[in-house]
Amino acid sequence: MTHYAMVIDLTTCVGCNACMAACSLENQTPVWADHWRTYVHDREVGDTTGVQRRFIPRLCNHCDNPPCMSVCPSGATHKTPEGVVLVEPSLCMGCGACAMACPYDARYPATAKDIQKGKEYYGRLHRNSPSMDKCSFCYHRLQKGGEPACVQTCVGYARIFGDLDQPDSPVTALVRSGKARPLMAHLGTRPNVYYIPEK
Amino acid sequence: MEILTYTTQQHWTTWFAVYLFLGGMGAAVVATSFLTHMYLSEEKELVMWGAISGVIMMVVGSGMLFLHLLNPWAVFYIVSPYGVFHKPDSWIAWGSQFIVWIQITAILYALPYMVEKPRLLNWPIVGPILKLPIVIQIANFAKRIHGFLGWVGIITGIGTAVYTGLLLQSFPAVTLWHNPAVPILFTVSAFSTAMAWLLIIMYIFIYHRVDHTIRALYERIDLGLITAELIIIFSFFNFTLSGSESGYRSADMLWNDNGWLIGFILFGLIVPLLMELKCVFGTWSGKVPIVTASLLVLNGGFQLRAFFMAAGIYAYPW
Repeated sequence: MTHYAMVIDLTTCVGCNACMAACSLENQTPVWADHWRTYVHDREVGDTTGVQRRFIPRLCNHCDNPPCMSVCPSGATHKTPEGVVLVEPSLCMGCGACAMACPYDARYPATAKDIQKGKEYYGRLHRNSPSMDKCSFCYHRLQKGGEPACVQTCVGYARIFGDLDQPDSPVTALVRSGKARPLMAHLGTRPNVYYIPEK
Repeated sequence: MEILTYTTQQHWTTWFAVYLFLGGMGAAVVATSFLTHMYLSEEKELVMWGAISGVIMMVVGSGMLFLHLLNPWAVFYIVSPYGVFHKPDSWIAWGSQFIVWIQITAILYALPYMVEKPRLLNWPIVGPILKLPIVIQIANFAKRIHGFLGWVGIITGIGTAVYTGLLLQSFPAVTLWHNPAVPILFTVSAFSTAMAWLLIIMYIFIYHRVDHTIRALYERIDLGLITAELIIIFSFFNFTLSGSESGYRSADMLWNDNGWLIGFILFGLIVPLLMELKCVFGTWSGKVPIVTASLLVLNGGFQLRAFFMAAGIYAYPW
């Protein structure tokens, strides 16, 4: 059985935002409203004795126990057998409960106005209905044997994608070694995006 | 990774507090007036006022949610009973069913009395509808299954009030919401506001048509509910003070806000509690003190939900 997961290596992320650009073009996200399926946070941490810039890429964590899926009243948010959490826009009424439930701030509204604007911005738009959008791990690319657009474009190889059920996958090795850890594991969401922290 | 950002949300704001407030109160008004009619008093006026005002509250409350949906047409997936079978783990799916069925039940329960009420029969639009033969047939059928309808209304009414709290409890990232006390607090508050609303109706609109013992009983029950609400609120304060930074920041936000302290705690709970105490022990008579106390309770019910929505704190490691 396939169990997709992603490891993000914060020691090699340079904050170039190429992942954001690749994702927005691949998935036609409403960037004009500052809504992204993946976003790289640029933070300064520390004090005058040692200030550091920290880049933290954020995306849907495709949790094994996704709170966004259990709160969704219409079943629009669902999980594929490979563990990818997807949204079916035609079923989504856009109540926003998923955005409230997500501890990773991964859901955003794609409104009717965004669809109209998207047609002008991207030319031909994949979506027709407004919905609470999110990262799909580029499921359409996975089905064709490819990788998510953000992984393919990452210049620092900070994003590593693979199948946790494959023992020889680099993702499996990083997760099993304990080098890569999930965010906010105490919430019981069982995320499938892991982070290698900075030293 | 350590948490770097603590923030509130902008998805569900004051409009959602209106939905929680009117939905919970409307459902509790229907359930309370049904219980009163079935077991305490045969008065038709109170159950009619309760059913009609409860339905109006739930329509307005649900309307607030409906107006904020991105794709309102998809709401049909959850208002059909299939929705609950399809998504039994979603409290919104259950809540939608409760709200739909309590409104249908409330109208059916009150219909046999509405078709007999001369004043309603003279109203424009409503009057001609109530005189339709099919409506009279439905009213006769509803009268035969009154007991069943009453219990459906009571169960779905309590279900709706509990659901308003369970909904917030489903969000694990926010300590203020994700704990077992929220559904209890919201249910107690829903029934307290329902008592207050029905007291206003009984004192202002149908004073001479309702037995005073019902009013006295409601005042005593409301007193108990306000006391319970105060205990839950202060146990909340104690709970959020330690254990998680998200909870601590919510407590810090609420208890340093004059709106919460003066608007809700003082004038939404303590002042009406003291006023109702004076009324119950007979040192205050007349309509004004109890109606004023009830209006303050209604204001408190809304403030509780508005502050709760505003004070939910999310913690992010970025």
